[in-house]
Amino acid sequence: MTDTGARAPIIRMKNIEKHFGNVIALAGVSIDIHQGECHCLLGDNGAGKSTFIKTMSGVHQPTHGEILFEGQVMEFADPRDAIAAGIATVYQDLAMIPLMSVARNFFMGNEPIKTRLGIPFYDREYADRVTMEEMRNMGINLRGPDQAVGTLSGGERQTVAIARSVHFGAKVLILDEPTSALGVRQTSNVLATIDRVRKQGIAVVFITHNVRHALAAGDRFTVLNRGKTLGTAKRGEITPDALQDMMAGGQELAELEGSLGGTI
Amino acid sequence: MAGTDERIKEMSPLRRALIRPELGGIVGTIAVFTFFLLTAFDSGMFNAQGTLNWSIVSAQFMIIAVGACLLMIAGEFDLSVGSMIGFSGMMIAIFSVTLGWPVWLAILATFAMAIAIGALNGFIVIRTGLPSFIVTLAFLFILRGFTIYLPQTIERKTIIGGIREVAEGDWLAPVFGGKILQGLFTWLGEVGLLATFERGTRAGQPVVDGVPMLIVWAIALVIFGHILLTKTRFGNWIYAAGGDAQAARYAGVPVNRVKILMFMFTAFCATVFATCQVMEFGSAGADRGLLKEFEAIIAVVIGGALLTGGYGSVIGAALGALIFGVVQQGLFFAGVESSLFRVFLGVILLGAVILNTYIRRLITGAR
Amino acid sequence: MKTLISSLAVAAAVVASPMAAVSDGHDQLNYVLVSHAPDSDSWWNTIKNGIALAGEQMGVEVEYRNPPTGDLADMARIIEQAAAAGPNGIITTLSDYDVLRGPIQDAVASGIDVIIMNSGTPEQAREVGALMYVGQPEYDAGFAAGQRAKADGVGSFLCVNHYISSPSSVERCQGFADALGVDLGDQMIDSGQDPAEIKNRVLAYLNANPDTDAILTLGPTSADPTILALEENGMAGDIYFGTFDLGTEIVKGIKGDVINWGIDQQPFLQAYLPVVVLANYHRYGVLPGNNINSGPGFITKDALELVEQYAGEYR
Repeated sequence: MTDTGARAPIIRMKNIEKHFGNVIALAGVSIDIHQGECHCLLGDNGAGKSTFIKTMSGVHQPTHGEILFEGQVMEFADPRDAIAAGIATVYQDLAMIPLMSVARNFFMGNEPIKTRLGIPFYDREYADRVTMEEMRNMGINLRGPDQAVGTLSGGERQTVAIARSVHFGAKVLILDEPTSALGVRQTSNVLATIDRVRKQGIAVVFITHNVRHALAAGDRFTVLNRGKTLGTAKRGEITPDALQDMMAGGQELAELEGSLGGTI
Repeated sequence: MAGTDERIKEMSPLRRALIRPELGGIVGTIAVFTFFLLTAFDSGMFNAQGTLNWSIVSAQFMIIAVGACLLMIAGEFDLSVGSMIGFSGMMIAIFSVTLGWPVWLAILATFAMAIAIGALNGFIVIRTGLPSFIVTLAFLFILRGFTIYLPQTIERKTIIGGIREVAEGDWLAPVFGGKILQGLFTWLGEVGLLATFERGTRAGQPVVDGVPMLIVWAIALVIFGHILLTKTRFGNWIYAAGGDAQAARYAGVPVNRVKILMFMFTAFCATVFATCQVMEFGSAGADRGLLKEFEAIIAVVIGGALLTGGYGSVIGAALGALIFGVVQQGLFFAGVESSLFRVFLGVILLGAVILNTYIRRLITGAR
Repeated sequence: MKTLISSLAVAAAVVASPMAAVSDGHDQLNYVLVSHAPDSDSWWNTIKNGIALAGEQMGVEVEYRNPPTGDLADMARIIEQAAAAGPNGIITTLSDYDVLRGPIQDAVASGIDVIIMNSGTPEQAREVGALMYVGQPEYDAGFAAGQRAKADGVGSFLCVNHYISSPSSVERCQGFADALGVDLGDQMIDSGQDPAEIKNRVLAYLNANPDTDAILTLGPTSADPTILALEENGMAGDIYFGTFDLGTEIVKGIKGDVINWGIDQQPFLQAYLPVVVLANYHRYGVLPGNNINSGPGFITKDALELVEQYAGEYR
């Protein structure tokens, strides 16, 4: 649907290896991510998805291989470096602080400042106004900016976290299993949010092990298995069944599927 | 999704008021004052001396409660506050009386030392990942041990006096041990609005001759803490660090720095308490500050902060300290047997915690 | 909050009822006794009983107050509070002159008569403007005990100090050491308040210093576990053992030859006499001309009968 191959990728991960002691978590993974695409990273538990995105977001440093961001080789010492470069990560559970208001969560770590008598104060008015605007754009109606995040649903929290990353200039947005704990309605809200963000020209890396969620939002699909990539496919080039087979390592699942009588 | 979500009910003003952390403190303050106005009005509790008495006791609680409150919101405890009070007071006495340093230097050196110990507390908590409960419990014993050992070894006694004498003429000592508005109170005494002493060398002077700096410090620290917490970027970080340290780190909040600074601030507050006490009474004793850490935590909890961190208010903690002080002294005025004080304390604490749990459910949408 | 108010009201009623009963034609006098003892110190029970009895006999209202943790700075606030409530008299200990001087002087200046009991010295009592001092000077009592021990051939000792943070406790040990003519040094141990800890520390000390001639304990809190320790290591009855103050176990120890003597400062008198003195002073203007020494009295195995009967209550 979108031909992204012509332009230079915003992130190019080249032959990334990550060893933890004598455990090889990633054994040479390469991937390109382009602006305005939703790149789905699929794989079963233990496939290396989590290690891979943590390498991308600066939590881990790769043992071998290099990361090119906008054509430059980057070495992220910690997540702050990655955030500064424009790579934002939204973690499944650790996105929001329930007892704090939406506005305070939204600006957490990036609080707006107004100076009075030489003392830098938190600009609450600005924070509240921007938060309300951004939430309206994302389709969430707040009672007020001081509403606690704890009162929002899981999907809404993900949406707030995504909106926050976008507002603070993320060029690449990594979403770690954003839909895994959500109901049907909330999942579709999050998928709609992903679509909205992608259309703003931001690259989205969407980690999931749910093929249907991936197919609903993704432009390209990369499958990881046992620390290796099993290849990247474009939307329309691959069927859900084929994707499912690749994820689980093919053969056994086909048999299992037969005995269960349908697609898992 | 446009338009209002029909599932979100408009909040009634009452419910809206309920979700303020200070609510418990405000209700408690009104209840406590009503009770004592009814039962102890003519006992001297609300004359000048009586009012000063419970104000001073409340101010003492407030000073340590501000530190404990901010630290608790940042998600940590400090059980070494009481020992720190004893230790700081003793260090001022040793520096100024035993070693003969000028009092201002003794005070500044003690502050530096206390804040360094606070930083060490925080550093150990952050580095080891151990609960601050355990780390500061260790310091509770370590500091109390030194507070007994040092004077015992150096001066062969556990109380060092004579600080009032060496503090005479010092420029820094009155900042902690002095009084303000003395002219106003003398005038009030002269025109008969304030009772005066009947006999002795101070006959004719007003029974209350000024506002002790202790109270000024308490008010200043409460204002500082409240502004820091609610009106600055750092305040947002305090909430975030205590609400969910990992989430805050992911968002770029320097959680470790925030927590260590709050440990240092708590030590600072304890030292303010100790310095005021030493300058007022002129001596430092090894038993000063016993159990004050719990009194601070109780005041903070009565004031609506959650023990688990991430939620609370400095104004609430100040009201908690006021309730604590008024009840403690007020029971004496009301003529209640003093051993029952702990019973009331327990009842108030339990009531406050139950109320707070209810408030938290309201905040997070009664789920 | 509602439950709180009602519970407060109930408790206030319970406590207030016995106080309102007395009236015999005099103006109602009320006195407050402020001590420095923490709630956990059982020795002060005698003091509480002493003022209660005196209050009953003299027909005056009496109250007992103390800082719950024994923090002397808190005690200063209690004296200030008592002064603000305006009783006819305050009876207080003077365990730290620096801390308590100001509040007591303020109370005296606002027209309240003060008597110092138990801790402090007669000189300090005069300095703060108190009417008199009722008690047993600590250093002198320790010194007298030391003289007695020296006459019995004691040359070294262990002082088991269970409230080391109070200066009067150290004075007792110091007086004892000075009378023996030895340096106090390491012979005083900080035993803490916990019975098991006290017992183990005494055992450890005697194990490390088997030549110790004598043991001095400073009250029931340290004496009771020390008796157990001596029974355990077999030194009971063999080592010279003196103690300050009395209690049920101490009396048993004296009777069973484990303890050579107890120094009785007669706390009952320290609480009882000030109330009597103040009441007569306020009613008839009569006042004894000097301080009253309630102790030291040495209690040995002879004449234990009354002591035994009232130990822990009035003795």
